[in-house]
Amino acid sequence: MSLEHARYDRNAELLERAFRELLVEKGVVSDAAVDAGVEFMYTRTPALGARVVARAWLDPGFKARLLEDGSAAVGELGIDIRSLKLVVVENTPMLHNLIVCTLCSCYPRMLLGLPPDWYKSVEYRSRAIREPRAVLAEFGLHLSAGVTVRVHDSTADMRYLVLPMRPEETDALSEAECAMLVTRDAMIGVALVDSPKNVL
Amino acid sequence: MTPRFNPGERVRVLDKFTIGHVRTPRYIRGKRGVVERICGEFRKPEELAYGRYAGEREPLYRVRFAQCEVWPDYVGAAEDTLDVEIYEHWLEKTEDKR
Amino acid sequence: MSGHHDLGGTRTEAPVPRGQHAILPWEMRVDALMQLLSDPKRPGGALMSVDELRRGIESLSADEYRLLGYYERWLHSLIAVMAEKGVIERVALERRLAEVEHAHEREHARRGER
Repeated sequence: MSLEHARYDRNAELLERAFRELLVEKGVVSDAAVDAGVEFMYTRTPALGARVVARAWLDPGFKARLLEDGSAAVGELGIDIRSLKLVVVENTPMLHNLIVCTLCSCYPRMLLGLPPDWYKSVEYRSRAIREPRAVLAEFGLHLSAGVTVRVHDSTADMRYLVLPMRPEETDALSEAECAMLVTRDAMIGVALVDSPKNVL
Repeated sequence: MTPRFNPGERVRVLDKFTIGHVRTPRYIRGKRGVVERICGEFRKPEELAYGRYAGEREPLYRVRFAQCEVWPDYVGAAEDTLDVEIYEHWLEKTEDKR
Repeated sequence: MSGHHDLGGTRTEAPVPRGQHAILPWEMRVDALMQLLSDPKRPGGALMSVDELRRGIESLSADEYRLLGYYERWLHSLIAVMAEKGVIERVALERRLAEVEHAHEREHARRGER
């Protein structure tokens, strides 16, 4: 079966196996290294980003450093984001940030893990920059005209994290409890962080 | 390499014919915006995409555009913006007559 | 290359699809392969860059781009770039794919007989 035919059937799993076997036989990669890479990606989840957000809410100095140099600040928490160049953008009552990659699907993977399918969709990639408020409304987020919407297109080497606003009724919560409120969607910008009185 | 542009400066994205891989989206070409920050220095994606890894680094900028200037039919607030990372070789100075 | 990946602002009124598929092990392995091949710290240095991955994906036809799944596009790009650089040979891959498919069919037939 030629490669041309293989492109249109759904046996990508077999193609991956054939490709990987050749790479392993040539000593380019090892199965152990592939497994280790897979295991590492499983450890990258939105919970890591949530820790960063919660720390920023509780520690103004950390927040200032986070906004100045996202990668360095995340490193302070002992989170290994490899060579990720992180820019953190802060939501305020007057400003709402939204992240997209129109050209492919760039995402702060080493911090948040793999992006959701909708983030990679043709519809999100084409519409988020042109009609962000309509896209946010689809996600259930309605912003008044008094709030500025700022969309970030990750076209090059930086990756973006939204620092969502700290919700009401969280003063009594610990940092870990704050982190549990923070969702992946809030860190992409299609959601706000819910107040605990709405969640619990 | 000394950056050609500084934060706060108005710049225009070039609108040029390209062949092959680029990271400057078509929707932003020819548009004017303001440099929001210098992100650092990076190699050209047009070169890296073809296995040429040893080129010079150049400044990469985050440029902020007014949505109503990018899209004639934009629906939203007048202050809504679009921030895009643009490599220096895709930018030129522009005079702001406004 | 017609820039069919350059989707920003292209006209569509379709709502953002919200379904999420469970990521499959082979997809995670494709992701891991890309990390390994593009790791500057690997012995001998990186074999490819993320820019080449993107270029490989963008080089797919408009139909392929639309019809192939996300990690299928990655896989085809990785193969194209590795073949370009002579790390693997297309003929060898085609032969191995045929063997893998054959073994897969035999296994399925065997299971069907139980």
